[in-house]
Amino acid sequence: MEASLLEQIRFGYGPRGATAPEVSGVDPGRVLAQLDAPDPPPVVPGRPMLDQRLAMVAGAQREARAVKAGQITELTVLPRLKQATRADAAAWILTPVAAEAGFRERLVNFWANRLTVGLRRIGALPYLAGTYPDDVARPHLAGRFADMLRASAWHPAMLLYLDQAKSVGPNSRIGRKKDTGLNENYARELLELHTMGSGYSQADVTETARLLTGMAVGPTGSSFEPARADPGRKTILGQSFGEGRHEIDRFLDYIALRPETAQSVSLALARAFLADQPSEATVARMAEAYLDGGSALRPVYEAMLADPSATSDELVKIRSPQEFVVASLRAVDWPVGEAGVARMPGKVNEALAAMGQPPFRPRGPDGWPDTAEGWVSAPMLAARIDWAETVAQAISRATRDRTEPVPLARVVLGDLGNPDTIRAAGQAEQRWEGIAVLLGSPDFMRR
Amino acid sequence: MTREMLLSRRGFLVGCSLAASPLLTPVTFAAAPGQNRLVVIVLRGALDGLDLVRPVGDPAYAALRPTLLKDRGGPVLDLGGFYQLHPGAAALMPLWQAGELGFVQAVATPYRNRSHFVGQDVLENGSASDQGALTPGGGGWLNRALVPLGGRPDVAVTVGQEPMLILEGDVPVAHWSPIDDSSLSPQGEALLARLYAADPLLASTYPGAAGLRHDGGAGADVRPVDLGAYVAERLRGEARIAAFSYGGWDTHQNQTKVLSKRLGELSETILALKQGLGPDWATTLVVAITEFGRTARENGSAGTDHGTGGAMIFAGGAAKGGRVLGDWPGLGDSALLENRDLMPTRDVRSLAAWALRSQFGLGASDLEGAVFPGLDLGADPGLVL
Repeated sequence: MEASLLEQIRFGYGPRGATAPEVSGVDPGRVLAQLDAPDPPPVVPGRPMLDQRLAMVAGAQREARAVKAGQITELTVLPRLKQATRADAAAWILTPVAAEAGFRERLVNFWANRLTVGLRRIGALPYLAGTYPDDVARPHLAGRFADMLRASAWHPAMLLYLDQAKSVGPNSRIGRKKDTGLNENYARELLELHTMGSGYSQADVTETARLLTGMAVGPTGSSFEPARADPGRKTILGQSFGEGRHEIDRFLDYIALRPETAQSVSLALARAFLADQPSEATVARMAEAYLDGGSALRPVYEAMLADPSATSDELVKIRSPQEFVVASLRAVDWPVGEAGVARMPGKVNEALAAMGQPPFRPRGPDGWPDTAEGWVSAPMLAARIDWAETVAQAISRATRDRTEPVPLARVVLGDLGNPDTIRAAGQAEQRWEGIAVLLGSPDFMRR
Repeated sequence: MTREMLLSRRGFLVGCSLAASPLLTPVTFAAAPGQNRLVVIVLRGALDGLDLVRPVGDPAYAALRPTLLKDRGGPVLDLGGFYQLHPGAAALMPLWQAGELGFVQAVATPYRNRSHFVGQDVLENGSASDQGALTPGGGGWLNRALVPLGGRPDVAVTVGQEPMLILEGDVPVAHWSPIDDSSLSPQGEALLARLYAADPLLASTYPGAAGLRHDGGAGADVRPVDLGAYVAERLRGEARIAAFSYGGWDTHQNQTKVLSKRLGELSETILALKQGLGPDWATTLVVAITEFGRTARENGSAGTDHGTGGAMIFAGGAAKGGRVLGDWPGLGDSALLENRDLMPTRDVRSLAAWALRSQFGLGASDLEGAVFPGLDLGADPGLVL
């Protein structure tokens, strides 16, 4: 499954390795074929699955109590959970560095960002957020958005992140006894950020919040707790919903298939992959495909790839910091997963933070920006060039100064972008500086 | 940041970031028997030997460099009539007067193309190839010299980011790379500035980013005096050979100002070496070599482009200085190589070989065989007293 240079840059994380692909241009069929690629093998060890993490959290809580009671002196589980979150951050970078099907990996990040969870200090959330992209986005990125939305809604990380686990129906069994009530946070973001974006009222938000009560997080994961659920019918967008898990799922399906959702999801996709201001006609065709297919995503991607800007030679999008960092490591063929150790050329989390994208810490539930405006500032650009230097020096050291900047630039940029970039890479005083000029160049910031 | 910690752990320059400097990067050391010491400074980027040691006595010189000579950059520093020293290196004049500083004009490696990357490789590898092919094995000549020298490779250590080819090779060398960030040379920054200026979206952001990168982040540049003091300290201990590189000589534009700054820093480093070595300066030879010289004619932006013949600096208490060595080829049109570059009249490798021979007694067969394959040692240039 070979991808052309342009396909790798625009729809993936850039080329990896020292050889130029034999195919060129953008072939939508070739890009879509990546959807059927297998998941990449794990490249970062020490990342337990969600079920294991839930059990570890329970174990850590038992240990904490035992320490308090003076029964034991040392915590053994919490350090492993903390290690897992470090491994998650490393995997966020190294998985796409190693992956063959770049389009899939970009989509994993797109959808995980579209349905953002971030690290807030709420219960077990810091230890559960790291598996969220693999649990929610990865299994459904070539399937139906409605299914992905349901996986997101019932993921413990989402229930904690947007406070849904705290929401209690005022007239529920628990709500009548305790002084608690609705928390509208998730209901509102579900409608505003995850699905429709517009076309609903405050009353719809409140009714949605009532409907969603009962969604809870327990020691073994998410569950529906009838004792927290607000009884009675809920009228949302003119539709009537009852009680229970099934009704919540029916509602999630309903809003997933709303035309507003089709429009909003299509616009987000086109903005992320094609242009900061994508063609309205293309977005409309994508939304139509979305509705025709009952939120099946493959036809939506297909409609997106039919836009002329998908195949244009001009690179108009600015890479996110994560995309930039991954692309820099792929460009120099950075070794991944050797001897089970995840190595980085420098302090990547600090570097990403300086570029504006600290791992798992988006600025808000609307996720990371997907336009240039969010990523172009003097301090962020300075941090990118600093990173380019770090990678250039690291690869020079690793290859004993045998990495030639000009051939590398030809492979990485081909005839895309400013031809002067390749020239400049060869005009530096030293090889590593030539590589730094390439990786720090404006062309390399683009896709 | 752990930079201070790491540096102080090595007892080195607390609070000062050696490898964070854009210009001074790796330092390598090796122990050797005896009291003689050799310091090799690799000037990366191609030092303009015709501006460092100005051949004002050559009738063609002034016409080749009208702009560069208009602002001479400071007072006249006479080097025996025919040559004058660039004012940026004025701090070294006392060494010249004491006979502890000299130069060799019109030297070059056998390499005859003009790529920095290949040129520096040849300079450090010691290859005889005019096309830049490296010797079998590809290591550095100082590493190969360690074998006949009986050098103790276990104490050879590289400080800094990139491997320094000159001391790489079969004799294992320990690397010490404590710091992740260093910065581009002015030339590297200029290349990025050029690319960003052409990008409509990012052009207005780049100057601010470049300013931030210079002001903060990577920390203050190392002071040359600290580098000199550090190297001196190691040489007063077990080390007898030190090598480090010093970038920023690629003066395609604004040469007078850039060269003044670089030469001032290089001078400080050499003077700090002298001060730090104290009595051991007497047995020390310092040579500073560069991958090639620069064009005889100045270019259109008050600078010079990649050339061939250049200059070597030698200094130290052991040096027989106060002289500019080398056969002067002249600067007339017919004397220039390809009608553009100073014609090299001596292989800079033979000078490096004589430095090894004078300081450590290496035999001619080793020098012309394993260390510099295919080298003709030539007559003793008399670098050392």
